[in-house]
Amino acid sequence: MPSLVANILEMPNQSERTDFAAGLGDEFVSLLKTLQNADGGWGFHAGEASRVEPTSWALRSLFGHAEAQGTESFRKGAGYLQSAQLPDGSWPPFAEMRAGSWITSLTCSVLAADGQSAKNVAAGLKWLCDDFPRDSSPWMRFVQSLRPKSHIHSQNDSYRGWGWTPKTASWVEPTAFALLALRDAPAEQLPRNAAERRDLAVALLYDRMCPGGGWNCGNPRVYGVDGDALVLPTCWALLALREAPEKPGRALSLAWLQKELAKIASAASLAVAQITLENYGVQPPHASRELQDWSAQALAAQGTHVLAWVCLALDPARRWAPVSATIRKDAAGKTS
Amino acid sequence: MSQRNRELIPSFSRPPSRVMIRRVARYEENLLALIYESISEFKLPLKDKTILLKPNLVGLDPQGVMNTHPAVIAATRETFLKLGAARVLIGDGPALDRDTQAILESVRLKEFTGKLGKDFCDLNIDDVERVELQTHATRLKELFLPKTVLGVDFLVSMPKLKTHHWAGVTLSLKNMFGIVPGSCYGWPKNVLHWAGIDRSILDINAAARPDFAIVDGIMGMEGNGPIQGTPKAAGVLLFGDDPVAVDATACRVMGLLPEKVDYLARAGTMLGHLESSKIQQLGEGIDAVKTPFAVLPEFVRMVA
Repeated sequence: MPSLVANILEMPNQSERTDFAAGLGDEFVSLLKTLQNADGGWGFHAGEASRVEPTSWALRSLFGHAEAQGTESFRKGAGYLQSAQLPDGSWPPFAEMRAGSWITSLTCSVLAADGQSAKNVAAGLKWLCDDFPRDSSPWMRFVQSLRPKSHIHSQNDSYRGWGWTPKTASWVEPTAFALLALRDAPAEQLPRNAAERRDLAVALLYDRMCPGGGWNCGNPRVYGVDGDALVLPTCWALLALREAPEKPGRALSLAWLQKELAKIASAASLAVAQITLENYGVQPPHASRELQDWSAQALAAQGTHVLAWVCLALDPARRWAPVSATIRKDAAGKTS
Repeated sequence: MSQRNRELIPSFSRPPSRVMIRRVARYEENLLALIYESISEFKLPLKDKTILLKPNLVGLDPQGVMNTHPAVIAATRETFLKLGAARVLIGDGPALDRDTQAILESVRLKEFTGKLGKDFCDLNIDDVERVELQTHATRLKELFLPKTVLGVDFLVSMPKLKTHHWAGVTLSLKNMFGIVPGSCYGWPKNVLHWAGIDRSILDINAAARPDFAIVDGIMGMEGNGPIQGTPKAAGVLLFGDDPVAVDATACRVMGLLPEKVDYLARAGTMLGHLESSKIQQLGEGIDAVKTPFAVLPEFVRMVA
């Protein structure tokens, strides 16, 4: 991506920005830690019951800080996730809901580096790789083949990803999170069909890309009208495709995201877009807003996951979706 | 929600419903005066109540054609407060984009309502409560719904006047899809699609039936709605104490037959009134404001 990476050189005061961001990140991390419930989990908001997704994002964010590993806080959080796992290996959105969901991917990805959760992760990945969307089953494809060519969608149903809920339909974000889980997990924990599922899912993501680059939930064209890409699905898809074979669509989507960033007005999209671009070695251009525009409390009010995403974005040493070495090197050069 | 709206009441035992149509050419008009005057006529029991306004916030919409307009939301909120409500919350759970704040920024809601703080609820990530479904229109036995929705005294559905590429029309009943939390069911809430959109609309509205409905038809959308359709100015606001009757009237304003909309026909047997004879028409007459909306070929059967 030489044309995109070249923008790194145009970024002023990179080292100052990083120092400032790291300081601010500490404040946000402190608040995130205080939101942990007694059962070890996090709710979407302060004082709410623990849920699997915000707990996973909080741990992902805190886990990036070396001092947090092995702490009581982390172990309690991991313990909450372990206890929320269903007997079939999947994770529900929260304990009372007794059906697995896309959150299994996120949780497996987060716990992948935790040796004490190895069995949980292996069971989660097995459930994941055994779950196929029903809309693209051989039977459904046969039925579709008997019908006139659809003018509603233009997607290739031979590609298969994952749905938000089991045995429904493939969508971009749950497919991206499943790919990230398969990437983040140690090789010895991967089910035998993981490589096959990965190939089908990568093909699905490229197939569902919007014509102008980027992704929405998974409808690139409906009734002959091109769909508009959205920031978050685009980011998750790009992160999932980071190590996939290069295709023109990926560069096009990265360029779309880079252009879109200037218009982003929400902390959630801004944080995840920044993480994504930096992971690809693209220095985020100036946006209409900066992450420091929001207070920690304001971010927490938007949801624990948003606060966690911002913490990650402001952490130059994050382990997950790490800042590209190209950018780090550039920042270091300017510091010296 | 009122106790009445927690129960299924067949149409034959319901009193007549009231629907008011008001002409409004532009969002720049004095909406507060008009909405205050309109809602006051219904003499609703609002004193000291907690009210939730559930607008249709479906996506990034800088042009203001797919979401309920913020001017209508703000004027409605102020009206309910003036009429004695203790608190008026605004809440939605967008179906296709989990970045609710981005949608709020794009519709500039805060510019119209002022800072909302905890008076805005992202229903996608609200705490939830298990609700056993009574209707069994779908095979779903239960739904987990936001505590905020289940806990308020008075629930107001505030859709945009739009046609819909799967359901035919999206009005106050379909708008209630937005209370189903994405954090449990995803973006989109695909489990409802698999259960059947038409039937899911019935289950959701039976579980959390709106007490009142206000349709923003000043600027609507025709054709391939709810996102990619064509803007259509209808120049109306509709108000009513029965979401089925409001939706039926909205269909008639759009030149569509409500009894040909699958979920509305079913809703007319248990959730409210579909027949004109059981709807007391207030304000403008339907014929005076009728604005035919184009529909996709799959829905030509709905055209009157």
